[in-house]
Amino acid sequence: MAIDKKIAKEFENAVGAEYVSTRPDVLLTYSQTASMAVEPVIPSAVIRPANAKEVSQILKLANKHRIPVTPRSGGSSLQGEAIPKPGGIVVDLLRLGGITLYENLRSVTVGAGVTYGELDKFLAKHGLFLPVYPESSLVCTVAGNVAVNGAGVGSSLYGCTGEMVLGLEVVLPDGTIIQTGSEANPNSPGPFIRYAFGPDLTGLFIGSLGSFGIITKVSVKTFKRMKYFDYNMYGFDTVELAEQFLIEIKQNDINGLFTSIYSGEVLDLFMDMLSEELGFPPFEHAERTVSMTIGRVREDMLESDAKLAREICERLGGRVLNVREMPQQEWEGRFWNFVRASYIHGWHWRTLYHHQTPTNSHKSVDIIMDAMDKYRFLGHTAGFQSGHSSMNLYPHLYFDPQDKDEEEKVVKAHQEIAKALFKSGAVPFKLAEFWKDAIEDMDEYMDFLKHIKNSIDPNNIMNPGVLGGI
Amino acid sequence: MAEIDLDELIENLLQCRRCGICRNAVYEERGFDGVCPVWKNSPGFETSFMRGRIQVALALLEGVLEKTPENSEALFSCTLCGNCTEICAAEFNPADCLEEVRAVLNDIPNDVRDAIAEKIIQFDNPYEKNRSLKREWIKEVGFEIPTSGEVLYFTGCTAGMKLPTVVISAARILKAANIEFAVLEEEPCCGSVMLRTGKTDEARLNAQRVVSAIQKSGAKKVIVTCAGCLKTLREDFPKLGLEIPEVLHITEILQETAACKKLKLKPVTKRLKVTYHDPCHLSRAMGVYDAPREVIMSIPNIEFVEMETSRETAMCCGAGGGLRSYDPELAKKIAADRVMSAHEVGAEIIATACPFCESNLRLGAEQINSSIRVADIVDLIAERLM
Ligand SMILES: Cc1cc2nc3c(=O)[nH]c(=O)nc-3n(C[C@H](O)[C@H](O)[C@H](O)COP(=O)(O)OP(=O)(O)OC[C@H]3O[C@@H](n4cnc5c(N)ncnc54)[C@H](O)[C@@H]3O)c2cc1C
Ligand code: SF4
Ligand code: SF4
Repeated sequence: MAIDKKIAKEFENAVGAEYVSTRPDVLLTYSQTASMAVEPVIPSAVIRPANAKEVSQILKLANKHRIPVTPRSGGSSLQGEAIPKPGGIVVDLLRLGGITLYENLRSVTVGAGVTYGELDKFLAKHGLFLPVYPESSLVCTVAGNVAVNGAGVGSSLYGCTGEMVLGLEVVLPDGTIIQTGSEANPNSPGPFIRYAFGPDLTGLFIGSLGSFGIITKVSVKTFKRMKYFDYNMYGFDTVELAEQFLIEIKQNDINGLFTSIYSGEVLDLFMDMLSEELGFPPFEHAERTVSMTIGRVREDMLESDAKLAREICERLGGRVLNVREMPQQEWEGRFWNFVRASYIHGWHWRTLYHHQTPTNSHKSVDIIMDAMDKYRFLGHTAGFQSGHSSMNLYPHLYFDPQDKDEEEKVVKAHQEIAKALFKSGAVPFKLAEFWKDAIEDMDEYMDFLKHIKNSIDPNNIMNPGVLGGI
Repeated sequence: MAEIDLDELIENLLQCRRCGICRNAVYEERGFDGVCPVWKNSPGFETSFMRGRIQVALALLEGVLEKTPENSEALFSCTLCGNCTEICAAEFNPADCLEEVRAVLNDIPNDVRDAIAEKIIQFDNPYEKNRSLKREWIKEVGFEIPTSGEVLYFTGCTAGMKLPTVVISAARILKAANIEFAVLEEEPCCGSVMLRTGKTDEARLNAQRVVSAIQKSGAKKVIVTCAGCLKTLREDFPKLGLEIPEVLHITEILQETAACKKLKLKPVTKRLKVTYHDPCHLSRAMGVYDAPREVIMSIPNIEFVEMETSRETAMCCGAGGGLRSYDPELAKKIAADRVMSAHEVGAEIIATACPFCESNLRLGAEQINSSIRVADIVDLIAERLM
């Protein structure tokens, strides 16, 4: 139901009437996101503020009237994170633009509405990049990805998005605007260090799924844009050897910018779907195949890394496949090819992003494959290195959008998979609702999280329930 | 348009994964600097770009949303420019699907749509009661033009009635290129706007009349100057099961003549910076990108510059898909935005190859008090004929 007219008027006074909507068609379009097989919830209003001040006024009003608030940026999240709450409002943050470069500080500040595509175009002009690209970079905002602590192409070397963050401007649930990191000092020349003024308050909001406040600006690190790349694939007859290869790549400081691992079946599936379109030549892959883009700013460094990678592969008994097309398309086509791969088959899917250690990553594959066998779904899972010693796994379970039974089965399978993954040692980088029933023996941790939530947001207006059910 | 299979349409619409990439993707490598002109130039709620339009369409088709004019606004506040289709990674064509949805849901009241269709049925054009005005320009060309012959110039309503300079220029160029041509005595409207806005039955009947008039003229080749006419005659008529001779846009003809230097053109006296706006129906829809550019560049002393978005990823002028009638203010705003892009690259002229784009870009230029000249390519060429 649309929000009370008087309250709507108050929001209109805050942001201007044209940026508040209670129209049924508009509300309907905010009831869903890119998350599939999630029940839509119609909000009571949608508000599109232009800046932190307006966001602050909105949150003050929401608090006054005890209205749940769902922050939303690109609306591309996949685990139900930006689905509104009944009676709640959606705060659409895409109007918060602006990019400020601090070239000497090697950092950049962006408004909450800035997408990765926009930022990349800007930084490329300066020979720079923010080297973590979610596969949804054309739609998702940097702030949205900070809010989910995402990862993506580039994470194999640089870690998750959270690792890039130097500071945040955040509007707290009571409307207070705070700044974290070095910029907390009003005299600071800009963002240059995150860990300042005591505990890491920036970290509190990374992966918070909008449940602690609304991020209005993000300051992140920038790096010199790499120019030299080596693309290659490495085949291994056993899972263990492939996982050992991943570890040694890291231990030898080889700059694997994007290092993915595929099981034979999944690679077959991808090749079937994409080889013609993306020009992958046929090649003989193995039980496990690693596809790696090594990136460097200097050619001599690249040559040394590439040579060592080949040597390690061969020493472990693997085969250097000398196939460059696939890793090259992963890196150069990072803005689009993954999305295409996700949609080309026509199925809808649900995912459960998580991290594993390299030597545990096959467990995720086994769990997903078992579930697919049990429930007779199609789907796949693959992973990429996502930091110091972690792998990001992204299982997709396919279903027919017109088959409600199949959709329900996927949801049920998901719950089982989440439990099994958790037991196998996996960690969800965002504690989205999908995971809440899977987490066991973490009561103290969850209590502490609740405690923090209660003290920041005593009326629990901010995206209630989204953070592991809190 | 062939009969629409509703099940297939819904299946297609469900291919949308709600990723949202069709909103404002900036993808430098492929030339995207934003996607949806409506989202960019409106208050920007989800209903203003394809992701939301599809959700609304599904909700209307499935009866979740009541079929009211207000609730169907998202279906019509779209220029059908196809930029969303260009970037969409899913296995369907969102803009084409939306056009089909308009047809399937054409029982939802829409006064603007109905009024245009009514005018076309009554007067053979969407503008004037007096249909003979469409041939007024002939008095000005200074030579005879027959009403039948092997090559037919199908002038289109917008150029014929609103921008006669385009038709006059085209006629002069064809003459200069030694191409003998005819113009119909009573030229019906091609019916593009009926097809775009979902008046399929009316469009079908109208198309039959157009084809019969063309056949009677003895034409073996049809030349058009309007991108909307081109797409309708070349692409939509065959889909309606109608046979029509070869249809060419005048720039496709001029591409050859310009390349062979058959047309002698005077150089512009001072170096002139010209940019080109791709009409969606000529470019993304029909794949004609190079011909207009080559024609412009054939004018001696012209410096050709591209705007930030061009060719496959060009932003739309805001006129198409019935938007100019449905929401004139929005259409103008989008045009003004496009004119700004021309300014950003320092262009003195923004050339285009569609009278509908031209007239809307002019309105956009007026809105921002721009002194830029908006011109059809044929005008630029005709002015330089020796
Ligand atoms: C095809 C596809 C591929 C994807 N690939 C990846 C991938 O490789 N890596 C990855 O990490 N994700 C991926 N995703 C998921 C999604 O893109 C990310 O979750 C993304 O970060 C969401 O950003 P958004 O701007 O769309 O945020 P939204 O979806 O709008 O919101 C996401 C969450 O953040 C909160 N939020 C949004 N903005 C703010 C703010 N300013 N302040 C506080 N809270 C906020 C919301 O309340 C919600 O909880 C993919 C999605 C798609 C559709
Ligand atoms: S139309 Fe295509 S690009 Fe747009 S949301 Fe749907 S799937 Fe994504
Ligand atoms: S066709 Fe053009 S105007 Fe319509 S939704 Fe797609 S991009 Fe926007």
